[in-house]
Amino acid sequence: MTAKVRFFARFRELLGSDIPAPVKTGTTLADLIGGIAKKNKEGYDAIFDENGRFREFVIVMRNGKRIEHADAEKTQVADGDEIAIFPPVAGG
Amino acid sequence: MITIQREDVDIGRLVAEAKRAGTGAIVVFDGVVRDDNIQEIELEAYADVAVPELQAIAKEATKKFALLHVDIVHRIGRLAIGENILIIIVSAGHREEAYEGSRFIIEAIKKSVPIWKKELTKDGGRWVPGEHTHGSGKARKSRD
Repeated sequence: MTAKVRFFARFRELLGSDIPAPVKTGTTLADLIGGIAKKNKEGYDAIFDENGRFREFVIVMRNGKRIEHADAEKTQVADGDEIAIFPPVAGG
Repeated sequence: MITIQREDVDIGRLVAEAKRAGTGAIVVFDGVVRDDNIQEIELEAYADVAVPELQAIAKEATKKFALLHVDIVHRIGRLAIGENILIIIVSAGHREEAYEGSRFIIEAIKKSVPIWKKELTKDGGRWVPGEHTHGSGKARKSRD
């Protein structure tokens, strides 16, 4: 199965955007994001802390709905999911 | 009109079209690119989520302040100093509702709509920090 991972703003600059990702059964949202982010240390460190947990300000969405960090660490990715990761918003 | 777009918009036309039977006040909010020793600003949106959120904010404001009409136009892309970033047109029966509705909408946008801006300077660029962090990614309460 496959999912799509979308990074925005600074995270996009560091890690790219609209990344199609093959997903193994049982992969959590955090696993998926972490696996992609590891390709760029600066990008990984922008999203995850030294313990591999999401930094407090990072926002995770699954199919347009915000996901609590604790849930992202245990929720499994489903085929066709769109996962978005971004810093605090700054529009207006 | 609730939209995210690159193009500018004719504010005068929006004001004219915001007049409804019962309109007694129209408030226009026009957020513009400020000269903070920058060259340009670049805006980016998660439009698939941002547009429905803008629609939900307009709907909630309409209900809460008995608004007669709302336009929200948020621009993205590269914008020069002085250009319009965000235009909010609110039409209401009285000034209190129009002012309060307009203020409610801009504050809600800054709090939750996934849009970001980067100030481009001669030395590179810097992302503007959001005014609201969301703790552990906590979802905003439903606006319906």
